[in-house]
Amino acid sequence: MSIAPDVLFTIAGFPVTSTVIATLITDAVIISLVLAIRKFMSVNPGKIQNAFEAVYDYFYDMTAGNAGERASYIHPWVLSIFLFIAISNLLALFPGFETIRFLGSSGDHHGVPLLRGATSDLNLTLALAVISVTVTHYFSIKYTGIKSYLGRFISFAMFPIMLFVGALELMNEITKLISFSFRLFGNIYSGEIVVGEMYSMFSIGLPVPFIMLEVLIAVIQAMVFAMLTMAFMSMFTEKISH
Amino acid sequence: MEIFSIFGLEGKVFIAQLINFLIVVFILKIILYKPMQKMLNERKNKIEQGLRDAENAKIALENAGEERKKILTAAKDDADVLTASAKASLEETKNKMTQDAKNRSEQILEDAKQKAAMEFENMNRQVGKMSVDISGKVISHVFSTLFTDEEKNKVLARALEKIEKGGYEKSAN
Repeated sequence: MSIAPDVLFTIAGFPVTSTVIATLITDAVIISLVLAIRKFMSVNPGKIQNAFEAVYDYFYDMTAGNAGERASYIHPWVLSIFLFIAISNLLALFPGFETIRFLGSSGDHHGVPLLRGATSDLNLTLALAVISVTVTHYFSIKYTGIKSYLGRFISFAMFPIMLFVGALELMNEITKLISFSFRLFGNIYSGEIVVGEMYSMFSIGLPVPFIMLEVLIAVIQAMVFAMLTMAFMSMFTEKISH
Repeated sequence: MEIFSIFGLEGKVFIAQLINFLIVVFILKIILYKPMQKMLNERKNKIEQGLRDAENAKIALENAGEERKKILTAAKDDADVLTASAKASLEETKNKMTQDAKNRSEQILEDAKQKAAMEFENMNRQVGKMSVDISGKVISHVFSTLFTDEEKNKVLARALEKIEKGGYEKSAN
């Protein structure tokens, strides 16, 4: 299993990879779930709505606990990140991922996997990291003002200490992108390799504990990504005084 | 750049994933979060309204209890006033009726006395008249048996003379 996802075919120069297909499946699952929830949404909730409301309220309360009233605009991003990552991670554990082969124009007579966990592709994890960081900075400018925002990185108070701290903060933003994207990518990719190895060693029974572990990791990683986004958004939308 | 190809970083895929996620967020925000938040707020308001209503009902119940006590007290006071007024009116009516009865009985008594007096006078008159008749008859009989016609005429003349002078009645009385 290579680090880079396999290109199945190209459409007008756009490489359609196994992870792109998995992303589209994730989108379809999310939209189906949303439509199902919408269909039965009422003031007296049913089972599906109750389950979703529990998740919704949990994230809202946690965001409100950190950001107060700012939760109203931070919360949708945090919950969307969690749902998207958790669903794509969990889908990767379903039968068919990595096992269904695609015999394309690669020349390999075994073909390549048709489906691979969407988050085991650095393109997706980096895209999520970029969105998380960009939206955080956008909210910071929008809700604290450009002066307060720039004050985080450029400050002449206690010269040159705060200027140095500002430079470190700037570097931190770049490392955030790397840590966000590689943490998720690394965990999911390594998990897929481990489960794949277990299947190749003894496919009956042996992978089960590892799949259970992967279920846990899938949810934990989604939670970590969402919680970090929430923490950074809360911090960056709070006015600082120099 | 080699590291990008090792990790499979591809500009077009990266941009596509970026746009895809933004679309997902947009869809979730429009068709799920907003209605969900609206519905949760609606439910929260309903619960709060229910609690407020329950609290108001509790207060209203307490007030109704106090109001009931006030009404009962006022009604009792009114009843007392009415009873007292009825008693006074009854006493007054009783006194008036007693007085009327007394007056009437006195009137009746007075009438009876006057009537009795009149009857008595009338009777006296009749008795007098009868005694005169009887006396006349006795005298006439005596005259006819004891006296002569000459003596009779003398006595009658003297009697008529006395009557004319009113002496007869006086002597009869």
